[in-house]
Amino acid sequence: MVFVLWAVATILFLMFRLMPSNPLAAYIDPTFTIEQQAILMAKFGLDKPLWEQYFIYLWNLLHGELGDSFFYRQPVGQRVLELLPNTLILTFSSLIVAYMFGIIAGAWLAWKRDTFAERVSIPMVLATRAMPEFWLGMLLLAVFSFSLGWFPAGGTRSPGSEYSGYLALYTSRDFLAHLVLPALTLAIYSQGLPLLLMRSNMLEVMHEDFVTMARIKGLSNWTVVVRHAARNALLPVMTSFAISVGYQIQGNVVVETVFSWPGLGRELVNAVSASDYPLAQGAFLMIAVVVVLMNLLADLLYGLLDPRVSHA
Amino acid sequence: MIKFSHLALALALGAIATQAQAAGDKIREITITTRPQAAQPQEFQSAQLIAQEWRKLGLDVKVDVMPWEQMADLVWYNRDKWDTTGWQMVGRPERSDPDELIFNLFHSSTAPKGYNFIGYNNPDFDKTVEAQRIETDPAKRQELIHKAQSILADDQPNMMLVHPKSTFAFDKTVWNPATVIDQGGIGIKNTWTFLSMEPLGEQKDIILNSSDNIVSINPLYVSGATDSWITELIWDRLLRIGPDGLPQPWAAENYKWVDETTVELKLRDDMKWHDGKPVTVDDVKFSFEAAMGDEAPMYKPFVGNIQAIETPGDSRIIFKLANPSAAFVTASLAKLNIIPKHIWEPILTDLAASEDNAEDFQAEMPIGSGPYKFTSWTTNEEIVLSANKEHFSPPKADRWILRIVPNTEAAIGMLRSGEINFLADFSGDPKILLDLVEQDGDLEVVSTVDMGFRYVAFNHRRPPFNDPEFRKALSSAINRDLIVGAAFRGFAVKSNSVVSPALGFWHNEAVDNFPTGTDLAKSTLEKAGYELKGKALHYPDGVKETLGQ
Repeated sequence: MVFVLWAVATILFLMFRLMPSNPLAAYIDPTFTIEQQAILMAKFGLDKPLWEQYFIYLWNLLHGELGDSFFYRQPVGQRVLELLPNTLILTFSSLIVAYMFGIIAGAWLAWKRDTFAERVSIPMVLATRAMPEFWLGMLLLAVFSFSLGWFPAGGTRSPGSEYSGYLALYTSRDFLAHLVLPALTLAIYSQGLPLLLMRSNMLEVMHEDFVTMARIKGLSNWTVVVRHAARNALLPVMTSFAISVGYQIQGNVVVETVFSWPGLGRELVNAVSASDYPLAQGAFLMIAVVVVLMNLLADLLYGLLDPRVSHA
Repeated sequence: MIKFSHLALALALGAIATQAQAAGDKIREITITTRPQAAQPQEFQSAQLIAQEWRKLGLDVKVDVMPWEQMADLVWYNRDKWDTTGWQMVGRPERSDPDELIFNLFHSSTAPKGYNFIGYNNPDFDKTVEAQRIETDPAKRQELIHKAQSILADDQPNMMLVHPKSTFAFDKTVWNPATVIDQGGIGIKNTWTFLSMEPLGEQKDIILNSSDNIVSINPLYVSGATDSWITELIWDRLLRIGPDGLPQPWAAENYKWVDETTVELKLRDDMKWHDGKPVTVDDVKFSFEAAMGDEAPMYKPFVGNIQAIETPGDSRIIFKLANPSAAFVTASLAKLNIIPKHIWEPILTDLAASEDNAEDFQAEMPIGSGPYKFTSWTTNEEIVLSANKEHFSPPKADRWILRIVPNTEAAIGMLRSGEINFLADFSGDPKILLDLVEQDGDLEVVSTVDMGFRYVAFNHRRPPFNDPEFRKALSSAINRDLIVGAAFRGFAVKSNSVVSPALGFWHNEAVDNFPTGTDLAKSTLEKAGYELKGKALHYPDGVKETLGQ
């Protein structure tokens, strides 16, 4: 795990320095003097050779120091930690909705194999999966915010509202109203995977001996599907949930932009386009940590849900 | 063998043909650099139109599209590696004085590393802009500024395109339209509007949008365009640029030139910092001296001319300058923020001992004396300021709330739904806004000719752009009305001067009529010795293409 993070850190370091632009471009102004340019270069440590910059970077990382953003002149760690909760809440709420829906609908569709319901539903699921998030988000905005006025159009809170802390904010009605549309957009976009996964697993499981056994026992259709088949079909879906969390965090950029959501994805894109190496590295690294942690969690979870794994 | 002899014959004939026509080399493929359509639709479309017109002159033109970061790096740090590029300057209140733009963009001293990235060098021009800098008599200075504009019109160092119109909108059921102030060259999004705008109903908060994140709220750091809307409201200045573009008394009750290197001001006696302490002449002196030190590099160029600051008594402030400077009042006295000594002195002392400078410092609770007080800042989401009712010019609104909205379509939707009530940042097609006003009776849109401008820069370091005749021909090939109509949808006026017509006193109307047309361009090129062979334009006799393909 440490090795993975070191590799990520190194690749990030090299990748950003290969980009054909200059972090000073953000400062160009008619009053920008030569002395100022030199001061900035020295300040950012860009006047040092690359290998030296690399070792300073690694040394700082080991000490949990992500450096200062070139652009914002603030510690990267602080900025990233401020935005991370917004991103995590958006990601988790949308994925939980997507997976709950996906699991139930997937199981139901497996049950309804070869019926009219299936013939209608599958193309619909595929269509929502293929819709661009941007387009879907704008559509939801136009309908539910601009036309019907049910939900606010952007941000995490009403203009000028004050909250005593994160907890007060995240449990407020105001916040939840702002969360609905972006979370729904992401949920609609992500429900396809668990749904199709659940359905195909169910179809497989339904043919297994223990299901036939249950039927022979004379159990009701409901008990067979829910208590026996669905429980077993659920395992791979849970794993995919854990992994999706990691991947979803970086995939939020589009939704964060459409709904003015102050999250890590937008920050990352801005940092990359402003050649803000420390901030981009910090944000990527944070995402890498989440991905690695979620993978670990998936492994542990699997063992817990399916005792056969830990015995093997 | 047969093949070889054919080849030899062809080569020999070719050599004869070249000798017979005796002209310079064919001009290489030239490039015009622009930012992408998605980011800068007007610049991109202008570049396409221009390339099309230049091709009619027999030039091989390539449009090179790249994002801003890459373009800035190429143009700014690789000064001999590009031919022509789209560029823009934006309007700012302190640019109401023409000095900054007309000097820094063209004076030869800023060519190596400064803003004269095109490498323009004209000793006559240098002398003129140096002279206007020290001329404190407005009428004489106006003459010099006009002369500088004429020289530029003759040399065409850049190809000026348009002064865009800044377009903003607000909800006229929330704000009394009669109290919205249109500042010349800036538009209705300005400090005066934010002070005088009167609420009509229950909603007393000005809620506006910005597509950029806020970098910093710091009186000693010019960190971005949107950031400066905020610093202008939290901190006072001795003078402010009025809606007419001229400096007017603000924290100073009055100012006068005692002689050509001495300015005397009188500070108001009713000012308080947001923490309750009184604003004194010591604070003013400290504010300027802070910029003169090494901790606020971005403000240093504006105070370099100050030799001494004297504060005899409780309210008099006297600036002694090293050289006479006409722009000092606008560019320095109306630019520097007055900061509280009791807060900043210990901070600057600490910073002096560290590697960081004042630009790295972000106060938890910034304290100024301005008409709005800082209330809160949520990263990448919103800034809240509240009215300082004790100020000598108190705002009519209760709060000033800036929302970060990266999505333009969403910003328009928010304006209609009331989530914002002042559209302060709009990068889309202004026509869309006007259509919206027709649909939605609550909105009012105001367009103002901007102080800023769009142009195509020629790289004088690379022939043939070192030849004024060639530049003039290329510039005259472009019908600016076409650019205004096609690329800017009519939301711009054509330009032939870096001093905008919005700055009525300084703008030289004599340069406005710049004749254009493909035939005119062709005849200019012909007179200068350029020759069309086949369909390709060649250099004048004896001139080699040194830059290859």
